[in-house]
Amino acid sequence: MTTASLHGFAKARKIYEDRGLRARELKAEGKKIMGYYCSYPPLELITGMDFVPFRVQGSINEAITKADSSIPTIVCPIIRSSLDMAMKGKYDFMEGFVTAHSCDCQEKFCRIWEHELKLPFHHYIDMPHVVRENSFEQFKEKLIMFQKAMEAYTGRALDRERIQQEIRVHNRQRALVRKLYDLRKENPPLLSGAENLEIMIALMCMPIEEGSIMLEEIIQEALSRGNGPGEKDTRLMLWGSPLTETNLIQMIESLNAHVVMDDICVGTRHYWADVEATSDPMDGIVKRYLSEIKCPRTFRESSSTFEEEMESRFGYLKDFARDWHVDGILLQSVKYCDTHGYEVPALKAYFEKIGLPAMYLEHEYTMAAEAQLKNRVEAFLEIIA
Amino acid sequence: MADKEKTKKFINRLKSRNIVRPMVNKMYAEGVTAANEGRPLAWSMVNWWEGDIVMRAMGVTPVYPENYGTVCASTGMAQKYQAICDAEGFPTHLCGYSRNHIGYAAEMKKLGKIPPDAPLGGMAEPTFMLGSGIACDTRFKWFQALRQYYDVPVWTIDTPSYDHTEDIDSDIHEHNIRHKVKELERFIEFLENLLGKKIDMDLVEDYLENQEKVFQLWWEINELRKAKPCPMHSRDFWTLMVPGYYMTYDKDALNLYHQVYEEVKARTDAGIGAVTPEKYRLMFAELPPWHSLDFFEKLAERGWNFVVESQGYHPPEPMSLKTGDSVLERLTRWTYWVNVGHIRKAKEKNYPLFGPVQYYYNWAREYQVDGFITHSLLSCRTATFWLPHAANILKEELLVPSMNMEGDIVDFTVFDPDLVLKNAEAFEESMDYHRGERKRKGLEW
Repeated sequence: MTTASLHGFAKARKIYEDRGLRARELKAEGKKIMGYYCSYPPLELITGMDFVPFRVQGSINEAITKADSSIPTIVCPIIRSSLDMAMKGKYDFMEGFVTAHSCDCQEKFCRIWEHELKLPFHHYIDMPHVVRENSFEQFKEKLIMFQKAMEAYTGRALDRERIQQEIRVHNRQRALVRKLYDLRKENPPLLSGAENLEIMIALMCMPIEEGSIMLEEIIQEALSRGNGPGEKDTRLMLWGSPLTETNLIQMIESLNAHVVMDDICVGTRHYWADVEATSDPMDGIVKRYLSEIKCPRTFRESSSTFEEEMESRFGYLKDFARDWHVDGILLQSVKYCDTHGYEVPALKAYFEKIGLPAMYLEHEYTMAAEAQLKNRVEAFLEIIA
Repeated sequence: MADKEKTKKFINRLKSRNIVRPMVNKMYAEGVTAANEGRPLAWSMVNWWEGDIVMRAMGVTPVYPENYGTVCASTGMAQKYQAICDAEGFPTHLCGYSRNHIGYAAEMKKLGKIPPDAPLGGMAEPTFMLGSGIACDTRFKWFQALRQYYDVPVWTIDTPSYDHTEDIDSDIHEHNIRHKVKELERFIEFLENLLGKKIDMDLVEDYLENQEKVFQLWWEINELRKAKPCPMHSRDFWTLMVPGYYMTYDKDALNLYHQVYEEVKARTDAGIGAVTPEKYRLMFAELPPWHSLDFFEKLAERGWNFVVESQGYHPPEPMSLKTGDSVLERLTRWTYWVNVGHIRKAKEKNYPLFGPVQYYYNWAREYQVDGFITHSLLSCRTATFWLPHAANILKEELLVPSMNMEGDIVDFTVFDPDLVLKNAEAFEESMDYHRGERKRKGLEW
């Protein structure tokens, strides 16, 4: 079955269930697919070169059988799973692969990927970990290198006007995603957290403009359908490392709670900030990707006191919690994620200070631990109630 | 008799290494004294020298919590500090050094003073903390997290991830060095504002000149280790890491490396090895089990000589990168070069390129190793990440087999020396076999 006859929720569900489906169709039509990892490779430059961006992810449902010969088991299981799937040919429609220095594991993983997969195009975007004036200059140099590498590979130049046009296309999609998130401000929300994650993942596996059309359809369907997620007592926000499946949210929503907001990189982190219009469009892209994505991989200058620093690092979460009427926060991270792990005590302390209960869940990227996690979430919901 | 056998040593350690212990003691004592006298004290990540020299020239005394992790591991105190860290709510999979230090810091905060049982007199409360973007995310997230205990400024010197860019753009080194110089300029501004004084660049240059001499000697010492038999065991390298990483500004460090050089040279000239007989030449990756270093005696007893090790902690190759000549450029260029020089060298020698595992490839050939021992660390993803990949490359390209030993830099409970010894016997058969295979395929050793 192709995706041509599908629309809205049904299309998102189909692509969520078979991530490579649309990419394979497009490849058969002669389109070129560029895989990317995490939220940091600037998609405007990828689509500007007429590649269809495809977000590479792992799968909790697929046993890791090949990648362990190249990556130790004590590193991020999502990265291990992603490489494993690639080594098994699950991403064989990709012409190239782009990664960025979003975290230490990813920096290393991309070299192993390059060695194992040997795709026609491979690029690693080095990016600063701090946000200073010279960091922006440095990152701009690296993005120009990325642009030049794609130009050399394709034999065609990417001009300023095309980048500006791509910025508009991507910003339009971001605006639609924000509109989609607004549907969960309602009580009861018009969309479940699991549905939302399905849509986000599907969006990352299809062309941008096609994804925007799908988003418009979904928003209309959600507004007009009568069978939304229904009434529940507790509204939660989910923070943490990437989720590649909906199972965790489904488990939470099988209890007396809605997941109404998130701070994860297959959600708000990926879509929230627009690229500002700047005379050199690369400047807007640099600013957006280096400083506006709120991932703990970025070190932000320490303010004069720790209290002020917490506010500057986590204040946006307070705004999310207020606007989405959140009752509690679930901090979750896959095991072996250092950038999220170090954040946990300070973040818990921050939420405690602003009067929001928070609980940390660490999981192993396997379905096996679900019962135990469910017990903990149930206990947390009882505390909130 | 049994006691005598127990204490018998099979590694011929360098006598000059004995100079190191008083230097380490001095380093920790200086930190406590500085704090007691109201002088600025920094908790600093290893920053591959660039930040250290700047801090010293500003009158700051740095102490190094990563090194303190090795001290606490070897004295058995790390278990206690790690347990405190766990109780503070940090995930247990985090870096062992950081868990040790966070636990130590939480304990010190609770007591309101340096814990009385802290090894080597402990580390006093810092004036600021210096993180680093080199090597791993932990090395800036850790200090960011510590600010909830000590509300002092945290600065991070960022760095490009060099080894990915070598093939892409010939101008990239210039861009990267320019960025690193700006990072140092910002750091100096930060220090000048914090401490209310100006930096003495002449002093920076003096320290840098001393450091460049240390690098040269340290590099020459390691070159001598290519001799057969190898005159210096990895255990001595690990002992020498402290002055080489934290004291390169210091004339005492230069004097130490002179003495080490003379001793290693004399051994080389006389054909004296660190292990006799040297049946197998081993390369060790990456950081050792600091809590169980005597274990290497058991391997030495079998004729295993560890001839090269710990790629992240070797001195840079002699400099062949030309950028500008300002003091800050010179300074930061060394920090940059330590991760780029081996790739440049591989190109010069027409070796195939293997990115971040290039060090191991170069060394396996140059030190003519029989085996590659990988020490996978439960709590250090950075040091462990490359190990299977590096082992695959060495096996495929050079017919050098590998053996993994599981353990940790801090946590001794996850290291099983008996298991390693059991595996060692089978590994010797593999090394013997591959020796024959290399010969058959025309490799140099």
